[in-house]
Amino acid sequence: MTAPMVNLTIEGRPVAVPPGTNLVEAAKQAGVLIPHYCYHPGLPVAGVCRMCLVEVEKSPKLAPACATAVAEGQVVHVHSEKAREARKGVLEMLLINHPLDCPICDQSGECELQDYTYQEGRADSRYREPKRFNPVEDFGGDVMYVPNRCILCTRCVRFMDDVAKDTVLNVTERGDRAHIGKFEGKDLTHPWAANVVDLCPVGALLSKDFLNKARAWELDRTASVCTGCSQGCNIIVETRDNVVMRFRPRSNEAVNEFFMCDHGRMNYRGLNRRDRLEVPTILGPRGHEAVDWEVAIDAAVRVLKGKRAYVLASPNCSNETLHLLSRLVKKTNGVGSFRVDQGIEAPLPGVTDLALRADRAANGRGAELVGFTRNETPLAGLQAGDALIIADHALSRADLEMAGRASAVIVLSSTMPAGLARADVVLPTCTVVEEEGSFTNLRGRVQRFLQAKAAPGLARPGWYVLADVLQAMGESTAFFLARDVFQDLATSNPAFAGLSYDQLGLRGLPIAGQAAGVAS
Amino acid sequence: MAINVKVVERPIEETSYVRATLKGMANTLKHLVGGHRVTTQYPEQRESISRRWRGTHRMLTTEDGKAKCVACGLCPTVCPANCIKLVPGEDEQGNRYPLVFDIDEFRCIFCGYCQEVCPEEAIHLGRHYENAEFNREGFIYDLERLMAQTHPVTEMWDPADPKGE
Repeated sequence: MTAPMVNLTIEGRPVAVPPGTNLVEAAKQAGVLIPHYCYHPGLPVAGVCRMCLVEVEKSPKLAPACATAVAEGQVVHVHSEKAREARKGVLEMLLINHPLDCPICDQSGECELQDYTYQEGRADSRYREPKRFNPVEDFGGDVMYVPNRCILCTRCVRFMDDVAKDTVLNVTERGDRAHIGKFEGKDLTHPWAANVVDLCPVGALLSKDFLNKARAWELDRTASVCTGCSQGCNIIVETRDNVVMRFRPRSNEAVNEFFMCDHGRMNYRGLNRRDRLEVPTILGPRGHEAVDWEVAIDAAVRVLKGKRAYVLASPNCSNETLHLLSRLVKKTNGVGSFRVDQGIEAPLPGVTDLALRADRAANGRGAELVGFTRNETPLAGLQAGDALIIADHALSRADLEMAGRASAVIVLSSTMPAGLARADVVLPTCTVVEEEGSFTNLRGRVQRFLQAKAAPGLARPGWYVLADVLQAMGESTAFFLARDVFQDLATSNPAFAGLSYDQLGLRGLPIAGQAAGVAS
Repeated sequence: MAINVKVVERPIEETSYVRATLKGMANTLKHLVGGHRVTTQYPEQRESISRRWRGTHRMLTTEDGKAKCVACGLCPTVCPANCIKLVPGEDEQGNRYPLVFDIDEFRCIFCGYCQEVCPEEAIHLGRHYENAEFNREGFIYDLERLMAQTHPVTEMWDPADPKGE
């Protein structure tokens, strides 16, 4: 940014921001939160809620911070007597028709109306008349609308109009009868429509899927990356008692801004599967026998001895697991391949380079970078005498037929691949929410994800198991953490050169040779 | 060497036990014939307990016999003993209600926070102390049992009326 910075004072704190910044964003940089409802950094400014009124010195009346650009030498008071009194009045008006149903409202605990009323609202209401009542409405998709709770901030309307570019919602009627309505014959079926639930500052727009399932304060939140497609949207995994309850988007301006698609949101269900592999087993005379990890690793090494390892790795495996699989492939002169499931691409028009990609897997790029080949029939090259290693990869009917050619099968998965006739060694692994690791998205951005819940039974992260297998085969793999494996990847693979977990942080960095930020 | 012990000579009226024995017997006889009794003849007779007595729980119901609880989740959140298990659900009319509402009365420390926090005045502690069961599972009260209890409910301490008058 070459333009000179604008200097101003907010709540007595000096701050310098680029010209054109609004006061809400400038205040965030000064560490001051200006209460607001209709303003959202990802949406156009509307200035309808009047909650962000602040006092600007030498200005005749209070200014809405979201619609006021910074000016040189401006002095802003957010918590002055006058500003607080104005916002108290706004809150009282918003609460006139807002029902006191926080105990049954899904938003309670993460509701901005609750928070700001608690912070600076009146303790009681002066409104004695009966409140307006409208019945709950189904908006289609995963969204339901509770008009009584709506404060008409129009964030949802602006998201659908300006970001999704699919005009579905509007403000119907006027005055105190106003509510959010749908256009005739339209539904919230846009593949990104469920973002309006996150955008809604109150409990007016709710997710039907999450309805009544958990309270906001019971959830544990962990930073992660969505595995729904190769876009690699940053997400927050919310768990309760070791069960994944929902996914929500985590803002990252270089990838997904503030949004995530409905397909990604619903992916959490697969992570709560009950039919998980929990103990390592080997094929003995009496069928699959549960054994210790040491015995299972030894059995895997015995099975691999003298054979070519044909690795069928899921493009949802982490970079770390894929790296160690590629070392195994190199050691045995084997082959590594994978297939990426295809779906319909669904872009979000309002955001540059953001879409639900046709490639429905998180780490296809990472798999290619460590030397795996992408193939529609990934088992075509499997020869008799090869040892097939299936790492979390789903098997099609054709795959199952071809898998019969392998002389030995090792399963390194979180669940048993459906239809697989036999497995000599089964090594249970963690899912993406049970381990730490990293993915490489389609633009070559390496992003970390963290562990959100405990793994069932004796399941271990894929890289942990593979490090033991390689160790037993005579390689030096003294890895104790996922970051050690990533370090090994960064030193051995030029694409990942210079990267480390500390540098990646939680927002990720592009691989070597890739332009920073979003490629066009 | 003998220790010098000071021996006090007292008159016979003071050292004799006869007088003290008679005095004690008189006291005993007085209680035998007098009306002063300490023992309560439980279970025929009951002690009255405080209105703020905190005993086993009771779930209040609406006129149409449903639990008042809306499954907001505040009582399991506030419970210091972690003894309330709550699973929220939705009925045919779209109202939120508890699918499961279990209180483990063994774990409960009868602090009364659940009653205090309840926005619907649904869960209450009870003025009740007779709890006997044939097995341990009987002390995990489910919603049906909590609703079936009939004993009077506990009154909360009112800061405006600290003595309960």
